Amino acid sequence: MFELTDQPIDSAAWRARLERPDAGACVVFEGWVRNHHAGQPVTKLEYEAFDQMARLEGEAIASEAEQEHPGCTVLCVHRTGSLPVGELAVWIGVASAHRHAAFLACRQVIEEIKRRLPVWKKEHHPGGAAEWVNCTTEATTGRLAPENYYARQVSLPEVGAAGQGKLAAASVLVVGVGGLGCPAALYLATSGVGRLTLADAGKVEVSNLHRQVLFTADDVGAAKSTVAAARLRAQNPLVKIEAHAADATPANVRALVAGRTVVLDCTDNFATRFLLHDACRFAGVPLVSAAVYRFEGELNVFLPNAAGCLHCLWAGRAAGELEAVANCAGAPVFGPAVGVLGLMQAAETLKLILGLATAGDGQTTRLVNLLDGSAQSIERPTQPGCPVCGHPLASLAAVPGPAHVPVTGAHSSRVSPEPFSPNTLKDPIVLEAGELAALGPLQTVALLEAGESLDADSAPAGAVAVPTHDLPRIRELAAQGPTVLVCRHGLRSAALARLFRAEGFGKIYALAGALPAIRARTTAN
Amino acid sequence: MTAPRQLHIKFFAALREQAGVSALDVTTSARTPAELYAELTATRRLTLPASLLRVAINDRYAAMDTALQTGDRVVFIPPVAGG
Repeated sequence: MFELTDQPIDSAAWRARLERPDAGACVVFEGWVRNHHAGQPVTKLEYEAFDQMARLEGEAIASEAEQEHPGCTVLCVHRTGSLPVGELAVWIGVASAHRHAAFLACRQVIEEIKRRLPVWKKEHHPGGAAEWVNCTTEATTGRLAPENYYARQVSLPEVGAAGQGKLAAASVLVVGVGGLGCPAALYLATSGVGRLTLADAGKVEVSNLHRQVLFTADDVGAAKSTVAAARLRAQNPLVKIEAHAADATPANVRALVAGRTVVLDCTDNFATRFLLHDACRFAGVPLVSAAVYRFEGELNVFLPNAAGCLHCLWAGRAAGELEAVANCAGAPVFGPAVGVLGLMQAAETLKLILGLATAGDGQTTRLVNLLDGSAQSIERPTQPGCPVCGHPLASLAAVPGPAHVPVTGAHSSRVSPEPFSPNTLKDPIVLEAGELAALGPLQTVALLEAGESLDADSAPAGAVAVPTHDLPRIRELAAQGPTVLVCRHGLRSAALARLFRAEGFGKIYALAGALPAIRARTTAN
Repeated sequence: MTAPRQLHIKFFAALREQAGVSALDVTTSARTPAELYAELTATRRLTLPASLLRVAINDRYAAMDTALQTGDRVVFIPPVAGG
């Protein structure tokens, strides 16, 4: 609760009101009148409030903190009137089971008071001079003025004042506040994206800390979205950060993506990826999606009106099947790989908002490998007659029911006049070794990056080594008969198999995961 | 032309001192708080730039381009300094 008073604050009495048997922590902030400001001596402060609105805003600030930090009790009282040096001007107390939530909630309340409580103070100096704090020229050139904060970005000709205005007007949703979402959200906030919503139902775990850079050891056990939002508000108080402590689900996804400028898929599972993809397509919102496998990452920008969607990319594989071979949850991961891919997502998002994205950005899969330093862009396949992107947006929007294709049977029951060929639908692309063996004789094509070699003794019989970039040679080999592509990590082979399948090669597959027979030269010692 | 509307304006802190009054009822053709403030800077010699201000309509923060209705309570909020 919040109170406004013209009487001295009795801090002991307020503190006593916080006591409760289940509270293990109490954090108190006291704001005092000090005898100097900006190098000038101060004799007293005169506080003036827009009374009825200050009570409403103060109450809202306290209850928001209680909602965002469940289990916290927040009390706050603010003075008005003439206060001598040493007087208590504001008192905030938070009781909670554990100290961390109490510290966060207390900090949030004082920062929100300073940002939006309609209270002003007039500083009196010796000799009678006085001025309203923040209303003088000093405030207009204050250290957090937008023109200072974004100066080095606005001076880019590609951004300028107009571009910064577009960023301020943008609303961006980040789904998944983990290895990808932390760096992506950090840079979107510092770049001045006006409204940023962080959606994640998870709590911070110790095993997150090596790559989820918005969290500290003290945050373990706290809600990810709340901690990240508090951290980003401190990083850039000029933007609005919202915490949404829930995952994207069929029930909430429409509301989450509605009205967004861009949505970021920073999740680690295919079910959510397909859900977000379809909801964004129906809502007409671009989706920037990334996935990481160990040292490698893949980035896709899906534009709502373009052909070549997530369903084309994973033609014939339902989300449920994909989980089994490519789910990243709990998998080993190289911290910088999610960092790099998360920042690439931030960059693509900013480009979309600023109008710097090209059509090609929305039509390619970009692959990055931090182990060998390589990067590659592959044109994304388009499946003619795809039930999702092969139709005009208007006809999709008219489809009743939840805004997603069911995760089992990714191509849904939605009637399509030109369904995928049975071959594409029934022939999965990325297979485990055992499933591949069941297909009969296959020639093995090992895709090698610079510095990699194929160990002839442990490689499958008859395996042919080809540089990953030599697409004509791979095409030539695939034309000779059923082919399985393998690579050192499993990502490139899957991407290329999908590409060739889209080109019309019916019998091309990829081995799920790595082929141990492919070695990096650098491991000689 | 839209019909003129009656508004209740209140001033606080630096704006109150510049306006010389704490409350003012006006009849105006201004359609938004932004237009209203431009009008007031001329008639009341307000010197705080509009870019520094926020506005509250009926005790809630609102956008400077919100459409004003007759009877609205409008308060221009100079940079706040609580705490």
